[in-house]
Amino acid sequence: MKSSSSSRFWSYVVLAVLSVFVLFPMSIAVSQSFMTNAEVNDWPPKLIPDNPTLEAFNRVVTQDDMRLDLWLRNSLIAATGYTLAVLVLCAPAAYAFARLRFPGNKFIFGFLLVTIMIPPQITLIPNYLLMRDLGWLDTFYALIFPGAANVFGVFLLRQFFQSIPKELEEAAVLDGAGYFQRFWHVVLPLSTNALVALAIFVFLGHYNDLFWPFIVTNTLQTRTLPVGLAILNSSYAGQFRPTVLAGAVLSSVPILIVYIIFSRRITQGVMVTGGLAGR
Amino acid sequence: MSQSPEMLSKPKRQRDSLPITLRMRETIAAYIFLAPFLIFFSIFVVRAVILAVRMSFYNWKILPPTQDFIWFQNYQELFNDDVWWTALQNTFIFTGITVVGTTVVALIAALAVTQPIKGKSFFQVLLYTPSLFSVGAVGLIWVWLLNNQFGVINYLLNFIGLGPYNWLGDPNLVLPALSFTTIWWGFGFPMLIFIAGLQGIPDQLYEAARIDGANGSQIFWNITLPLLRPTILFVTVTGVISHFQVYGQPFIMTAGGPGRSSYTVIFYLYQVAWTSFRMGYGAAVAVAIALIMAVMTIVQFLFFSERVEF
Repeated sequence: MKSSSSSRFWSYVVLAVLSVFVLFPMSIAVSQSFMTNAEVNDWPPKLIPDNPTLEAFNRVVTQDDMRLDLWLRNSLIAATGYTLAVLVLCAPAAYAFARLRFPGNKFIFGFLLVTIMIPPQITLIPNYLLMRDLGWLDTFYALIFPGAANVFGVFLLRQFFQSIPKELEEAAVLDGAGYFQRFWHVVLPLSTNALVALAIFVFLGHYNDLFWPFIVTNTLQTRTLPVGLAILNSSYAGQFRPTVLAGAVLSSVPILIVYIIFSRRITQGVMVTGGLAGR
Repeated sequence: MSQSPEMLSKPKRQRDSLPITLRMRETIAAYIFLAPFLIFFSIFVVRAVILAVRMSFYNWKILPPTQDFIWFQNYQELFNDDVWWTALQNTFIFTGITVVGTTVVALIAALAVTQPIKGKSFFQVLLYTPSLFSVGAVGLIWVWLLNNQFGVINYLLNFIGLGPYNWLGDPNLVLPALSFTTIWWGFGFPMLIFIAGLQGIPDQLYEAARIDGANGSQIFWNITLPLLRPTILFVTVTGVISHFQVYGQPFIMTAGGPGRSSYTVIFYLYQVAWTSFRMGYGAAVAVAIALIMAVMTIVQFLFFSERVEF
């Protein structure tokens, strides 16, 4: 790109404006979650609390119907379970599509690709009724299994497995390794980057999902964070604004921790996967 | 044709007698690898899609012993359903504003980040941050920022002599306000895609243009933008698909209001199926949404593929 000093100057201006745009709402939320109920309603709005208090954070994890700690636990269980289920289902399937010759390979894979075009909402009602008939409503099964056959995961891992040199597997064949051993001892260990990238995306997507958890859960024991936050807002926004904001802030902490640890991996992963899907 | 590793490893004379059993072994192994995925996929996707289409021809209630087959009555009802058309119109308006907004903001951000400046990766990481939050957290934060009495947005607008606006309470402002929230939340993804796209444009093209005396804006309009067309196609197609499914923002921030000014199609699907428990009609709504999205995707591909060649 151009490297004249004026274009650099304008880049900094644009990035400064965008950084404020991104950071300002988050800062307000954090700051006001340390205020009292009266203080958030001051006009003009205060940006820094006079006497920071943990009252709102305390309330959001102890009051009987809020229990953000339980929602967080549920979200972590459900998202972890879902991520494992996706990996367990997608990785072997992707291996078969990438490396094995069998009648139907191209046909089945092409069929899966076409189904990416089908919006997931069309499956909501039948799957909801199926959960009800199986007695899975308000259980973690309902949060983990219905979306576990993730076509995008198969697509992504297949691309990656195809990039692994075949010679590495052939060496294992000479040592007498069967298909499963080749998959488990040769291909998977070479694919940790792709598996971790997929795991992060699948985890974050599930952790943030609202619609499906909202319709299949209805008690504190299974409700996930986004569902809890939606309920928190509808019942407490009027009088307990700092509590609601504390909920929003606390629920984002685990994600920010993951992001701080994996930030490069995540942004690179988006570019690579987005690039793949865009091809 | 690529040969399977076994075949390569066997001595040549055995190849005539062995391929059939090897082929069969490989096929069996493949289907064992595929089985868990295909079983889940058949139950939760294939079965669900077929059943949804079938249900849309029934007056399918949530708990009766039998369901009545009613031909196209659900679709006839949908065609005459004012709430559906309101929701559809709202969804189109929201999707239009949001996709244009996110694409423009993302492209500007990507152009700035790909200049040779210090702190590139820091800005890249920072600007992507909002995309990681759940719609719950985003909704709770923005519903308060946009509050008509105590909201910081109105306070800031006051300084430049505007407002106060009742962002989420005015039928004419609620969709732009939800779009604005969504642009904040979602521009990080297209930004990263644009960065990848911009990095893929060879430097020689820019150098050649500069030698020919082209200025910055000529380079942008004649080189950068045409070469980014495939990326823009991807960003707008995925943007339209994902924003057309908007649900969380109106659900959390406005409950579809004021009146029905922020009803969206997925919000309406929720109302029909899980508030009124009309599963058959809900299935018809879902099928209609799916068809509309498929048509939009195809139209966008045709529109852009025509212009990508130049």
